[in-house]
Amino acid sequence: MAESKAILDIAHGVPPVSVSQTSTRVNKTGSWKYIRPLYRDRVAPCNQGCPVGIDIEGYMNLLREGRVDEARDLVLRENPMPATTGRVCYHPCESSCNRASFDQPVAIHSVERMLGDMALGKPAAPALEKRAESVGVIGSGPAGLACAYHLARLGYSVTVYEAESEPGGVLRWGIPEYRLPKAILASEIGRIRDLGVTFRTNTHVGRDVTLAERGMHDAVFAATGVHQSRELGIPGESLTGVWRGLDLLRAVNAGERPQLGKRVVVIGGGNTAMDCARTALRLGAEVTVLYRRSRNEMPANHEEVEAALHEGARFSFLTMPVEVTGDPREADIDPLRAIEDTFGQFDRSSEDPRVSAVLCARMELGEPDASGRRAPRRVEHSEFRIACDTIVTALGEEADTDYLPAELHGGAIRVTALGETSRTALFAGGDLLEEPHTVAFALGSGKRAAIGIDHYLRMKAGEAGADVELGELKLGPDGNLSMTRWRADDPVARVNPVNEVVRVTDLNLSQFGHARRAEDVLRPAWETRHDFLEANLGLPREDAMAEARRCFNCAVCNGCEVCLIFCPDVSISRRDDGKFDIAYDYCKGCGLCAAECPRGAITMTREGL
Amino acid sequence: MTQIPLKEIMPHEEFLESGHLACPGCGASLSMRMVLKALGEKTVVALPACCWSIIAGPYPQSSLKLPLYHSAFETGASVASGIKAALLARGDTETTVVAWAGDGGTFDIGLQALSGAAERNEDILYVCYDNEAYMNTGIQRSSATPLGAWTTTTPGAHPEARPKKDILAILAAHRIPYAASATPAYPEDLLAKVRKAKATKGTRFLHLLAPCPPGWKTADDETIELARMAVRARIFPLLEIENGETWRITVDSPGDPIGPYLAKQGRFRHLKNEDIGAIQAQVDSRWKALQRRVAGS
Repeated sequence: MAESKAILDIAHGVPPVSVSQTSTRVNKTGSWKYIRPLYRDRVAPCNQGCPVGIDIEGYMNLLREGRVDEARDLVLRENPMPATTGRVCYHPCESSCNRASFDQPVAIHSVERMLGDMALGKPAAPALEKRAESVGVIGSGPAGLACAYHLARLGYSVTVYEAESEPGGVLRWGIPEYRLPKAILASEIGRIRDLGVTFRTNTHVGRDVTLAERGMHDAVFAATGVHQSRELGIPGESLTGVWRGLDLLRAVNAGERPQLGKRVVVIGGGNTAMDCARTALRLGAEVTVLYRRSRNEMPANHEEVEAALHEGARFSFLTMPVEVTGDPREADIDPLRAIEDTFGQFDRSSEDPRVSAVLCARMELGEPDASGRRAPRRVEHSEFRIACDTIVTALGEEADTDYLPAELHGGAIRVTALGETSRTALFAGGDLLEEPHTVAFALGSGKRAAIGIDHYLRMKAGEAGADVELGELKLGPDGNLSMTRWRADDPVARVNPVNEVVRVTDLNLSQFGHARRAEDVLRPAWETRHDFLEANLGLPREDAMAEARRCFNCAVCNGCEVCLIFCPDVSISRRDDGKFDIAYDYCKGCGLCAAECPRGAITMTREGL
Repeated sequence: MTQIPLKEIMPHEEFLESGHLACPGCGASLSMRMVLKALGEKTVVALPACCWSIIAGPYPQSSLKLPLYHSAFETGASVASGIKAALLARGDTETTVVAWAGDGGTFDIGLQALSGAAERNEDILYVCYDNEAYMNTGIQRSSATPLGAWTTTTPGAHPEARPKKDILAILAAHRIPYAASATPAYPEDLLAKVRKAKATKGTRFLHLLAPCPPGWKTADDETIELARMAVRARIFPLLEIENGETWRITVDSPGDPIGPYLAKQGRFRHLKNEDIGAIQAQVDSRWKALQRRVAGS
């Protein structure tokens, strides 16, 4: 289109050929369209699937861009203890990961663990303003810690009451060292303490102080968890040598190394049972786990069952204990016993009859019960005996809520969507609620209550209205509340955000290449079963970074430019802030940008509406 | 992930203007956009009659930021050869001259000019953007129309009865230095081939599959997906041929069944299961023949 040259070529006033003078930009072809593309960030399924309510997709994207510190801070906005959850959370986020339909889900827990470890010793962003109100938190398990953390970051003075000598609850006294090193936990609790949270340990609410003393506090959050082990309800249960699972884990976490003898039977199929089995192995015992249903029905996390199996635990499925039998103490007439006594194999301090075996019955599975699992039925005349030195029961736990107002006694506590009980200013969370008893749910409930308490106190102070737009606070319609959304200070720039979750069918998988998921480095079982050192070593940093790059970044534009590249009308341009402009004067509404967008971040909308 | 992000391989310079007159979702305009990005500024386009005669805009407009020369239907290769000779006469050895023609102007009307230029090994890059019929004049069949397709001249009762002409084999038979197939659905492959063609002297031929929403009776936003499906189903294998002898497949075609590809397109709506089976058999036998050529080279 070199107009001037063309004119120079004119002979006798007529150009030799007709030459264009203008570009087609004079044609506003945008008037052809009846639908128009719109950048609209939605919600990644992992974010909705995270009971803590972490912006997982957000930190994955920051890691992909190499912005590691910002990724770490994004996690700490929602989760006070990523090094802990990266180790012990059963990662429901990964079960909802869209990548599972492509090859394998992103190893989100490994990436979180890396970020958590990098955050150790690093402070959380403190409160911007100090508030006058004070909040009491009863119990320093994950729910209490999360509530205290978030409230402190919102500017409140927080006191945490803990009956034990050290804070941490189930993280400190329940989960074994080989799964969660106590130094890691202590460091993450230290970060909460550094926010100004006061911990009053050795203080049992209801005994050492009463709830009535909460006059000191403007609101109280109760998260004392469940401690009372369910009983077997069979003869012989009170014999010496029958341990309650939590008591065993507590003793070992307190540094004791109880003598369990040679053969240990663990009863139960949950995560506590797996912790007990693996702990008993480390104490030198041969372990048999009894579970009355089959492996498929086990409530324990799959990885925990695998680890127990690898470390040598044996399982007897479809087996129900019907009686614990004991030996009368006749050490003197049993030479072998006498020798064992000499070598201190048994704790023979008591003269009570001691466990010698458990009588069991075989079960078979019938129709599904209320839990959806097939109900076990006892098989007639199938009784058999398993000889053992110690029995550990892990049948689930119940809460001790005596310290709470009477109307809250008995069964799980009902709370509002913001964690408030039927008592004004009294909030509850963690295992006291009817929610899965996991660390992640507890952390999530603590955060929810922190938002609830913040709202309640601001409402009382006349700073907020009574209504809370809950739908907007959730990560996706079914997700947990987001502290970032509550504070309305999202560091991630979002374009026309819509609180909708992107499904795998909304993605364009053709734009992705296959890449294998990196698996955690596990110490060999023959080594781990002899010590309490951490068994799962996580991922080396470069592998964790590669995992972050496997993330699809579902639902949120990450500036990949696929839309721009496939626009036949050259109507999409990149702005300086990394986002995109669409020249609607020229966009014909073909929809190729939306169809080719790898992550479902563009929506076609009706023109003129 | 080993995959390099597209944004890192796609040149940012644009030589195509907005406001061009292609239909929404046009595969031909996207093809031009990507090819020119790889060729760069020193390019002249010779254009025989085709959809692009319209897309380029009516006088006095042009949708390209480069010189583009409109010419008669059968003359794509000869006009390009002439422009190249004129440039050489003026001492310009750098500029790439592209003949940009549709399937009608390549497979049918322009074939003798193309064959002549290829036989003389003219130093031009001939690009055929193939939308598999005379789309600009109203969807009449060409010898690039695939077996079984509806066009206005092969209506549903008498759909296209002959298989698509194997244009790459014809060009390979001319022993030209470089011939290849590509599609905008695989930008990395397309860019690599255009750059290789640009760097090669003599006649280079690129065959681009450019889906056409109005002619194929498909949704505007399916252009890329259809081209991708055609590659994956081995209907349009991505390959390159050097000197007519070395045949190489550049992007793996996993061999997806062709049913879903055909089902997406209104022009195949009349097909019965046995017709689809016959088309699949033809695709399979062509793929086998291609495998033999690849193995034998």
